[in-house]
Amino acid sequence: MFTLIKREIQDHIAYFLGAILFSAVIIAISISLIYHYDSGNPPVFRIGLSFPVIIVVIIGFCAMGATQMYTDRTRKISTLLSTLAVTRSRILLARIITGILAILTLLVPLTITAVVLLRLFTPPIPVYPGLVSEIFIATFLMAFACYCLGLLAGWNSSKIIPTLGGLVLTCILVPLVLVKGFGLHIVVILLLFIIASLMRTWHTFMSTSL
Amino acid sequence: MDENVIKVENLVKYFDGRCVLDGINLNVPPGCIYGLLGRNGSGKTTIIRILLGLEPPTRGQTFLLDAQSTNLSEKVHGRIGYVAEAHNLIQNYKVSRLVKLCKDLSLQWNDKFFNHLIETFRLPMDRRVRQLSIGMRAQLNLALAMAIDPELLILDDPTLGLDTVARRQFLELAIDIIQQQGRTILFCSHILSDVERIADRIGILAGGKLVVDCPLEQLKKCVKKLRVIFPESPPPDLYLTEIINQQTQGRELVITVANWNKQKQTVLETFKPSSCTEIPMSLEDIFIECTKPSPVPITNL
Repeated sequence: MFTLIKREIQDHIAYFLGAILFSAVIIAISISLIYHYDSGNPPVFRIGLSFPVIIVVIIGFCAMGATQMYTDRTRKISTLLSTLAVTRSRILLARIITGILAILTLLVPLTITAVVLLRLFTPPIPVYPGLVSEIFIATFLMAFACYCLGLLAGWNSSKIIPTLGGLVLTCILVPLVLVKGFGLHIVVILLLFIIASLMRTWHTFMSTSL
Repeated sequence: MDENVIKVENLVKYFDGRCVLDGINLNVPPGCIYGLLGRNGSGKTTIIRILLGLEPPTRGQTFLLDAQSTNLSEKVHGRIGYVAEAHNLIQNYKVSRLVKLCKDLSLQWNDKFFNHLIETFRLPMDRRVRQLSIGMRAQLNLALAMAIDPELLILDDPTLGLDTVARRQFLELAIDIIQQQGRTILFCSHILSDVERIADRIGILAGGKLVVDCPLEQLKKCVKKLRVIFPESPPPDLYLTEIINQQTQGRELVITVANWNKQKQTVLETFKPSSCTEIPMSLEDIFIECTKPSPVPITNL
């Protein structure tokens, strides 16, 4: 399993480097905003900054999943691997673990920075205990849902259903986050979506010809 | 535990409504070198892909080393070496990286033998797979398949793209492996002289069916091509069954008959031919006769 994960990471190292770079940029912006808190930027401006971040996360992880599956299909990687002492389920499991590692590469430094900054500086708006973990879980699940969607789209020759699924997910999630913020309801929706798309990906990957 | 290393039961495969395999039954015992032959598109590669679990069957079951093909475990996969027709190697990898990947994902790896093969084939380890010639890719694929000391070796047109010297090297290597007891080989090739040299059992696919499945020697014995000369013009019907092909020219009749036996010989003699001589047939001649439309089945001998 370790060999398979290592291969996936090496083949898609650009996404890991991208995650590290993106994480570093967000940390730099966050620190800069805190030090220049009194410079006149209204809080709405700072909240508005989070939307491009969400869009980059959605597109980035969706692209990663799609790239992993698409390159596998075109380069017949699984065809070779599954003739060695490896099963299809292990190949897919290694791929999913790699996706999770990429998401954590982005989110863990951000979360650590958020915790440290909250301890060092008094937040401009009141923060309840557990907010950071709630945001972390919701963002992780959102990124993972996008990744699963990418996996499905990359393996499927038809692009309509995964694209429609992505649109529906975005249409539900964005208003929910705007109105109710991060919480249990969003976690439940994301979990359901992840389970559905993973089951579909698993089924198609296990049953189609390689 | 089943005594056959490869077992195919009533295998049916459709591609877009077209029947490629129509109820194939096939058994390969341990230590056997089975030459699976057929024209292009006859379903040889499809059988192999179904056996390896790369392609789902429409109906029927296949087994490799006692495990169902649709559910092969890592342990079973680790005992099988496979050389694909298209040499499905990861094209953008360097040879050294691909070798390391295969080594890490194998249950056992014979470094000494692999290095010997790499030296024999003079394969450059620092080049990318896509920069190798087709012949070199075939050699690399073969070396990777051999390095795991497979109990079962499946070779799908392995000599495709190899030059004469490399082909000879490959065959000698295959013979070396055969000499190691217990190894089983399923071998597909269009170069029938290669198959004739190493196979001890032959299967011929035609029209979606396995029209021939018998030991090579027996196949040569039971398919006869005869030149029969009659005192006058040949009779319109010889009342012989299983005639694969017949051609008449003047008083001469050339017939190819399957499952030749004494009974058929007696029937032929009742027409009192002036002479009857046997025309020797190579595997290639038999193959051509057997793959003509409406083939006569020659199985279970």
